Amino acid sequence: MQTEPQKRISVSALKVWRISGVIKAAIEWAIAVTAIIIIHIFNGPLWVSVILIAIAIILTYLHIFLFPSIRWKRWRYEVREEEIDTLEGIFIISRTLVPMVRVQHVDTVQGPILRKYKLASVIVHTAATAHEIPALEESEAEELRFYISKLARVAEDDV
Amino acid sequence: MSEPKRLHPIASVINTGKRLKNLFIPLAAIFFSGGREGKESLLITLGIAFVVVLFTFISGLISWLKYTYRFENNELRIEYGIFIRKKRYIPFERIQSIDLTEGILQQLFGLVKVQIETAGSSGDEEAEAVLSAINKAEAKLIQEYVAAAKTGDSEVANHQVAKPIFKITTPELLLLSLTSGGIGVVISALFALLSQFDDFIPFKKIFGGLENWAVHNLILIAIIVFIGFFLAWLIALVMTMLKYANFTVVKTKKDFVISQGLLEKKQIIIPLNRIQAIRISENPIRQLLGYGTVYVESAGGSIENKDGANVILLPIMKVKELSAIIGPYLPEFHFTTSFTPVPKRALRRYIFRSWFIPVPVAVAAIFFFKIWGLFSLLLIGLFTFWAILKYQTAGWSLDGQQLTLRFQTTNRTTVFMKKNKIQSLEIRESYFQRNKELGTIEAYVKSGLGGAGGTVVDMEKSEVEKIFGWYSKEQKNREAARG
Repeated sequence: MQTEPQKRISVSALKVWRISGVIKAAIEWAIAVTAIIIIHIFNGPLWVSVILIAIAIILTYLHIFLFPSIRWKRWRYEVREEEIDTLEGIFIISRTLVPMVRVQHVDTVQGPILRKYKLASVIVHTAATAHEIPALEESEAEELRFYISKLARVAEDDV
Repeated sequence: MSEPKRLHPIASVINTGKRLKNLFIPLAAIFFSGGREGKESLLITLGIAFVVVLFTFISGLISWLKYTYRFENNELRIEYGIFIRKKRYIPFERIQSIDLTEGILQQLFGLVKVQIETAGSSGDEEAEAVLSAINKAEAKLIQEYVAAAKTGDSEVANHQVAKPIFKITTPELLLLSLTSGGIGVVISALFALLSQFDDFIPFKKIFGGLENWAVHNLILIAIIVFIGFFLAWLIALVMTMLKYANFTVVKTKKDFVISQGLLEKKQIIIPLNRIQAIRISENPIRQLLGYGTVYVESAGGSIENKDGANVILLPIMKVKELSAIIGPYLPEFHFTTSFTPVPKRALRRYIFRSWFIPVPVAVAAIFFFKIWGLFSLLLIGLFTFWAILKYQTAGWSLDGQQLTLRFQTTNRTTVFMKKNKIQSLEIRESYFQRNKELGTIEAYVKSGLGGAGGTVVDMEKSEVEKIFGWYSKEQKNREAARG
């Protein structure tokens, strides 16, 4: 694609995503184990349990190792004077363009895991859509929010 | 400017009626569940129902007494509430649109319901006001005040004088009603009603003994079901006709004024500068006949009034004639009918995607039902046919400042969007698309409180990038600097 955005998101994002991957995996294991116990009680066939465990192992690998690293490698963004350009995706790569004139407001949000690593997400709202740039350094997110809202204010609004 | 005024007393009747209607199902539930055990419980439930209804009547009356409106300091000032008094002051120049509705009761007394909408930028329902029954003269006064506050001249747009740009004819009304999906609504309403009473009416008891009888009278049952469907269809037909009768569109200096309805007359005003996009929607039957419905995506609307966001501009018209009908009134739009199709190699992907559901179903059906399962192959055929239709529909057109996307879900949809109204643009490619140099494009416009837009799947990648470049300002600057 033409002149793709260049800026990467924070390396610590990888850690954060791995941690949330661990949580997802834990939930999946809980479901799998419950299912296996139920199957065991009702004397269900063994191969179902084996498949369930296999699926849980694969999902664990995907959520904790593969997905976060692909996602991080892919994520690029660029905030230019007139537009915000993002590139993301694991299987489906999507590139989004938001003109500065269309920006209504900008939020920074920070969950407990993000806070621990001093990260924050920036969410850009237009009148119709919302776009998230996840896991930036706290200071960078703050700066970006100021920057975008300043630029957005300059642009006239004709929604 | 004026003394506090009350709504017409009919307003209290209308509001009470509305509340009673909402109470009907819970009350019926109490009735049926409590009524069976014995006389005492029946009396108690009757008592409760009586108190509730009485309370509704009294509170309806008091809330009417406490509801006043007045014009003061270039504002519409409304005060209401029984225990908690609420005051809402709406400056005239902030009022975006005034919609008038006349229900049967209002028509009997020469009244009108006024819905006032403000910009709705904050998006909460607090931003609007409803005067449920006032004199027509009063309503006109509000319109005049608002017009005066906005433009400085007090001449209210005279909708009756201007020549209508569209007026529905009887054949069109008939065609509209015949091809509308209204029957689905009636049937689902019927089912919803039946399921409400499922707990109370002992279907099993009634029908249990009938099983034997039923087996011997299949034809009779089929006829009854058929008549039922026919009646539902007839009701839907009449409802649609009543709703869209006298559909007229008039253009004034700054607005489209739409009036419609027979029993319930409605007048909707769409300010031209709030129009975000124009959308044509053709359901399969209409698509076959070359007809479609034209919607206006507007920036107005609020949570309470979702209809404010996409308003029907032309309920039915020949798609080919669109440009001739509204082209002159929306000069900034080009109602093109020529589209660049998606490349041939996309067809395989369209068909493959459509098989996700029917192929597993067919495999399962053949596995379980053996030879009878082969009928499920028809399903695959149907989905494939649909996929080919989708492939043929998919297309785009770039025309100066306008992007037009056409695609088919159930209905064939064409969206006309101006560049400066597109909120954001997304281009996507999956792993498989990348191998074939295909891409997906999705554009969003504002519609009411949320978004609307269009998606075209499996376009030529170079074309996707061309549109992306067209939308990007920086891209253009860079090219200008280079060349």
